[in-house]
Amino acid sequence: MKVFIDQLTKKFGDVIGVEDLTLHIDDGEFVAFLGPSGCGKTTTLLTLAGIYKPTEGEIRFDERVVNRVPPKDRNIGMVFQSYALYPHMTVFQNIAYPLKLKKVAKAVQHERVEQVATTMGIGNLLDRRPGQLSGGQQQRVALGRALVKEPDILLFDEPLSNLDARLRLTMRGEIKHLQKDLGITSIYVTHDQVEAMTMADRIAVMNGGHLQAFDAPDELYSRPKTQFVAGFVGNPPMNFLSVEVSQAEGRYVAQAAGLRLEIGRERGERPASHAGAVVMGIRPEDIQISEDGTVAGEIYIVEPLGREDLIDVRVGRHSFLLLASTETQHHAGERVKLSFDMEKAQFFDPQTEKSLLWRQ
Amino acid sequence: MSAPAKIKTDAPPASIAEDFAEALRLGAFSIIALLLAALLFSGVIGPLFALGSVEETVTDVLSRLALVALPFVAYIAAASVARRCAWTDTPRALGLAFASSLTLFLLISAGHYALDYGVFAPRPSLQMSLSQTADGLRVDALEPGGAADSAGIHVGDVITAIRRDPVDMAAFNLRLSQSEADAPLRLRFLRAGEEMQQTARVVIVSDKQLSALLPGLAVALVFTAVIVFLPGRWAPYIALVGLLTPLLIGYIWVIIATFSFRTEGLIPLDGQDNFGGLTLENWEAIFVGNIAGLEFNIVPILLTSLAIAIIMTLVVLLVSSMAGYALSRMDFPGRRFFLSFTLILHGFPAITLLIPIFIVLLRLGNIPLIGDLIGFNTAGGIALVMVAFQLPLGVWLMKGFFDNIPWDMERSALIDGASRWRAYWQILLPQIRPGLLALGIFAFIGGWNAYIIPATYSIGSGVSNLPVFLNELIDETAPVDWNQVAAVGLFQLIPIFIFFIFAQEYLLNIYAGGAKGSS
Ligand SMILES: Nc1ncnc2c1ncn2[C@@H]1O[C@H](COP(=O)(O)OP(=O)(O)O)[C@@H](O)[C@H]1O
Ligand SMILES: [Mg+2]
Repeated sequence: MKVFIDQLTKKFGDVIGVEDLTLHIDDGEFVAFLGPSGCGKTTTLLTLAGIYKPTEGEIRFDERVVNRVPPKDRNIGMVFQSYALYPHMTVFQNIAYPLKLKKVAKAVQHERVEQVATTMGIGNLLDRRPGQLSGGQQQRVALGRALVKEPDILLFDEPLSNLDARLRLTMRGEIKHLQKDLGITSIYVTHDQVEAMTMADRIAVMNGGHLQAFDAPDELYSRPKTQFVAGFVGNPPMNFLSVEVSQAEGRYVAQAAGLRLEIGRERGERPASHAGAVVMGIRPEDIQISEDGTVAGEIYIVEPLGREDLIDVRVGRHSFLLLASTETQHHAGERVKLSFDMEKAQFFDPQTEKSLLWRQ
Repeated sequence: MSAPAKIKTDAPPASIAEDFAEALRLGAFSIIALLLAALLFSGVIGPLFALGSVEETVTDVLSRLALVALPFVAYIAAASVARRCAWTDTPRALGLAFASSLTLFLLISAGHYALDYGVFAPRPSLQMSLSQTADGLRVDALEPGGAADSAGIHVGDVITAIRRDPVDMAAFNLRLSQSEADAPLRLRFLRAGEEMQQTARVVIVSDKQLSALLPGLAVALVFTAVIVFLPGRWAPYIALVGLLTPLLIGYIWVIIATFSFRTEGLIPLDGQDNFGGLTLENWEAIFVGNIAGLEFNIVPILLTSLAIAIIMTLVVLLVSSMAGYALSRMDFPGRRFFLSFTLILHGFPAITLLIPIFIVLLRLGNIPLIGDLIGFNTAGGIALVMVAFQLPLGVWLMKGFFDNIPWDMERSALIDGASRWRAYWQILLPQIRPGLLALGIFAFIGGWNAYIIPATYSIGSGVSNLPVFLNELIDETAPVDWNQVAAVGLFQLIPIFIFFIFAQEYLLNIYAGGAKGSS
């Protein structure tokens, strides 16, 4: 089922939950809503589910406008962060509840619940109550309950954030796999960008109730359209600094105190034509420590991450995070030279925070 | 195995003299503390109340309580030192305990002696010593010129009665101790087989006989020994049993009384004052419908009680849970006002509303059909009023329970396909079962035991419930047969017992289910 969200605004009194959100989701697509806590992800999701009525705007499922349709008539499955299982019911009754409400025949209920439970690997837990299950098992029950009625749309509200890191990794794979198999249009809310990047076909990045970008993960990563997106997507986060970009004799140069970097023509042209300073962004993996680097700095701190070291290098007043292999031992206070891969650098308008390279 | 030995060697063993000194110090501290407390109550707080023209006996009672408790607290304090080695070095513990409690006893007794207090307090006396014989109390010795002597009593007389009341030693002493100075006691006695009587006048003396200390000493030593060896974890139970005993005796009396003709204390007696007289008549009378000439039919009374209690339980549960849900989950104009207003209503004294409600019920009674259901002199009307008084508490209680259910659970139910009503009924209500149960019990017991409102709004009609009937029974029968009153009272308790037995199982079920879940 396709989902169309058009100029959706939801306010709680004066508090803005989400404002002027427009988003079109394709049939069978897996979309992630990514953003910091309080940015309106849950509000949007609950409005889609029919729990909240939109203050303004329109929501359509395929051709049907559902603004006034009660939740029970939307055929949606939802998984909550708290799982929201019914404590007084057994696992079986929990999963069967949506079917019971649909007045599905008892025998069919049994069959479907068994089937879903087997898929979810909880076939042996059907007689237990939620209180007797581990977090991971409760998560599977919640997922089973959302799937059993064969919904048109699946909604996930930070479903993995209460699980430990290992389990989160497994469930991530399972949910993704399941969604691809079933082909159900899914919206997955998370504040964890790794989850969003690995699972989603497209990611809607939100901040302060507004949509910042809606794009495929690698697009967001390599062609961020706003400074917020550039900073929020990617870990460790992108380095930002204010530079002057100028052109002299066909060569483009970004300059800041103690720093002078050459840019290729394609990247340099637009920022150079911008009057005044611009914000330059460069990801940690695009800076290298090397003998023939052009920028001299001093290592301030070295954080071992296991596979590589996260190094904070100070260049004059500026500070850059970068990743270096653990093979060469670096230590704080060491003087190093940095080379920047300027073909990956991003430039933003400091006023509008919009990208100078990629138009929306 | 070596661990206890090690502990012993680690702590430098205090010498027995040091322990003794510590026990005395603790004992002396408690004595001083309690004396100060007694002084505070009778010398400071009491006079303060008196200054404000407040008449009260509480400070006096507390002060005297402190003085009575004083020796025991002192022995406990001293024994606490001996307890440390009670099981490791028993002889030492006993020696320590006895030595310290003996010393404290002597200290306290000396105080009593000096202050004419306790066993040395002046007491009413006839200044003669008696011993119990088969015929009566034989006079063993007289104080020359004392009260008995001047009344013309001789050694060898056998006292049988005071006035017309036959006395044994206990009765004689009781009578004497309750007499005031110069009170005349007419003694009947046998002298050389001949019955005579003489009147002796009570004098107040303080004889300060040291032998009077012996019982106190025995109590002190035994008490201390018990405290030394009493396992610490028994202490709460002993305190509890001590506090509960008066209550338990009350309940036991009610049960015994309902099955006996007459009782003296807890002992059932028959018509001749002999042990026995067990009977089912008190119970039979309830079902026959005739107690001391008052004729009644218990069935309608019982049904009225039940009707009030059940209607009340159902309506209170239904309305409270729905109103609680609305107040917890919905935003509507006037919600805050409603909330604070219910709280005020709850604090409103119901008694002041009796008259206005009376008028309302009278008017309601004039409405055809509805009037027969909820008007004046109907069980429905009574239940309605009682429900109204119970609702504020119920609504608040239920709101609190609903507030504790996570929103997500309700949302989840709605998305699963439930209507709001169904989510309330199938998902939310089961979460607050303990709350419903508690409120239901409150409402049922409140309705079952209701007195003021049924008594007010069912004047002179057939509608009376058990408490009202019980009161009628006391009012309209003379002399009141308390054994039958006890039977009706116990009869009234039976449904409550049954209710509790079932409710308890239910409560246990709820918690055994491990129902808390993830949220
Ligand atoms: N029921 C509500 N009443 C009032 N304000 C709300 C309500 N739900 C959410 N908000 C507000 O709307 C904003 C977005 O919240 P939410 O959608 O829960 O954020 P997220 O899920 O992204 O963390 C927050 O400022 C939050 O305080
Ligand atoms: Mg949220």
